[in-house]
Amino acid sequence: MTQTQTGEALAAEGTPVIELRHVDKHFGSLHVLKDINLKVGKGEVVVVIGPSGSGKSTLCRTINRLETIDSGEVLIEGKPLPQEGKELAAMRAEIGMVFQSFNLFAHRSIIDNVTMGPVEVLSVPRDKAREEGMELLRRVGVAEQAEKMPAQLSGGQQQRVAIARSLAMHPKAMLFDEPTSALDPEMINEVLDVMVELARGGMTMVVVTHEMGFARRVSDRVVFMADGAIIEEGKPDEFFEHPTTERAREFLDSIKGH
Amino acid sequence: MSATNSTSMRDALYESPGPHTRRRIRFWTAISLVLVAVGIGLIVRRFYVTGQLAPRYWELFARPTTWIFLGKGFLGTIEVSLMAGLIAIVLGFLLMLGRMSSSRVLSGICRVIINFFRGVPSLLLIYFFFLVVPTYGVKMSSFWMITLPVGLAASGVLAEVFRGGMNAVPKGQSEAAYSLGMRKMKVTMKIVFPQAVRYVIPSLISQLVVVVKDTTVAYVVSFPDMLQNARVLITNYDALVSVYFVVAILYILVNYAINHLAVSLARRSGTSIISRTSENPV
Amino acid sequence: MSISELLSEYGDMYVQALLGTWWMSLVSFAFAMLLALIITVFRVCPIKPLRVVGDLYVQIFRNIPGVSLLIILVYALPYLKIVMDYRLCVIVTVILVASAFGSENFMSGINTIGVGQIEAARSLGMGFGKMLRLVVIPQALRSAVLPMTNLAVAVLLTTALGSQVPLSPPELTGLVSYINTRTVGGILPFVISALMYAGTAFVIGVIGNAIDKKVRIVR
Repeated sequence: MTQTQTGEALAAEGTPVIELRHVDKHFGSLHVLKDINLKVGKGEVVVVIGPSGSGKSTLCRTINRLETIDSGEVLIEGKPLPQEGKELAAMRAEIGMVFQSFNLFAHRSIIDNVTMGPVEVLSVPRDKAREEGMELLRRVGVAEQAEKMPAQLSGGQQQRVAIARSLAMHPKAMLFDEPTSALDPEMINEVLDVMVELARGGMTMVVVTHEMGFARRVSDRVVFMADGAIIEEGKPDEFFEHPTTERAREFLDSIKGH
Repeated sequence: MSATNSTSMRDALYESPGPHTRRRIRFWTAISLVLVAVGIGLIVRRFYVTGQLAPRYWELFARPTTWIFLGKGFLGTIEVSLMAGLIAIVLGFLLMLGRMSSSRVLSGICRVIINFFRGVPSLLLIYFFFLVVPTYGVKMSSFWMITLPVGLAASGVLAEVFRGGMNAVPKGQSEAAYSLGMRKMKVTMKIVFPQAVRYVIPSLISQLVVVVKDTTVAYVVSFPDMLQNARVLITNYDALVSVYFVVAILYILVNYAINHLAVSLARRSGTSIISRTSENPV
Repeated sequence: MSISELLSEYGDMYVQALLGTWWMSLVSFAFAMLLALIITVFRVCPIKPLRVVGDLYVQIFRNIPGVSLLIILVYALPYLKIVMDYRLCVIVTVILVASAFGSENFMSGINTIGVGQIEAARSLGMGFGKMLRLVVIPQALRSAVLPMTNLAVAVLLTTALGSQVPLSPPELTGLVSYINTRTVGGILPFVISALMYAGTAFVIGVIGNAIDKKVRIVR
């Protein structure tokens, strides 16, 4: 395991927004996370890549406890992630999450999807939430669809709404769990564009993705995982040009193939 | 009715508990275990204090003759159920063909018939064959007096099951057949129906449960099915409570087994069970 | 027997039978829904014994033949010193059976929601109560409308079990056998009852479909 110095150095200033310390997790006999250590500083964009089954999605989901961990620690702004109850809910409200399958609430309109969190969880007045929600929908380019139902939108549009829904909570950080993997090729860019803009705006982001172009252009740091462990991490240019480990080289070669 | 694969979502509703929640779950598990035990205890006690646990009510189940007699009744139940099922399949199939025909009139008539049989209790149909038909001079054995109405009642549901199955066959299949120059009748019988069968078999099996249940009123027409034979046992042994409970459990086990078969077949073939209470998933 | 003779002699009884059938159906359906809800809560709760009890309940009452259950309530329970009047026995039978199927409908309603939406609700910081109130229950109820409509029809038809015990006034099925044992009624008494059932079932279907159209979730 090569825990490189770059990561430490990059996140050195201030308390990291997200920190994982010696995180281990098993699914039955499968060791899906092996001694994961990761720090994500304020405003940092960390892209997690790796072959499927490498544990990168699981890693992402442990950060807001959609997956539990067997041992180790998850810290949000230096405080341990609560395990249950109101404290956990409150912590989750501060971290946005975007899923591979969008997961919009099927029975509520687009604008309702965006305002539900602020109104019900943060007790924002309905009018104000709506105003802000519309502004967010404009930002992600689906304002005209506000009154429609999720199923009436394309996958790309749904995913942009899902991002707006998370943004409406004014999150400290955003987690993206393969946000473009379920999309048709022509819709991938419309979602990535929104993410690029978010990153430029200084959002702290953890992005699990197969989009190497995005990783290269936008990320501050690339984390390469395989078999449940972080094999290598570093600045995107260094990582993509001169991967230090054999595993990473193989992986990069395999995706260059197509 | 509908088959549910309910294990995944019911677990997803609750996230993996933290230490505090885990303690609470353990506490309530203990409490509920006690309550369930008390409940069972109260039921057993009720049997005991009313004398229903006395050996004379139960020792008849140690005699092979009891089981042979019940077994004979069960054979009767199977006979009636299979014949009623056969009637329902044939009639249901014909009704489906009519319902899907391009003739507006025929389709309309079949639709009315289907909805009539789905909207009328099987018991009413049984009384029709038991009380009304004989007054017109038609003599019928008790076997047909139970199988015909039960079969008719199920045919309406089966017609809809078949229709669901036919619609589940991809359009391309019949289009390909038409493009080969086949006529509609041939396309339906040779191409679409054989494929639809695969979709409907689980539903047919699960409908058998409804048929088995409906045949339990065979005593109305004095046909010796399992429940009717149970009544004979009761008069012979003067053991009403034990016999009725045992027979109920037998029916439950039989129907459970049929349902289980239907669900596992449906799961294996990746189809869903169409029935009265489940809409046809698109 | 002509229709005018039949109606002059038994018209009142038909009205009473129809109202009686409607009333039994309505009461049974209402209580069955309530019980189905409770059973469903049992079946999804994290407390294992309650889950087992819920599952067992459903398996017992969805597989027991209605008559068999009715006979137990009417003839066996008095031996256990539990006595209910005939009409109550019929209603309880229908409630027990219908609630098992109702719970199955609720369960499949919950199943249509999908784990993803639950996780999305959690990620927004909703606690269990909010998630249930805002995401799970509204969707489960909406997708249960059509199955529950069909269940309401099934409840209507199951009240025909009332013909197996002496009810006075009899319900629609019992009335047919009542008339036929007194006079040679022919086909007519049967047809009238059948049309009343089918008509009621039709109306239930229309109402159910209208509600479904209004609340259906496009997926």
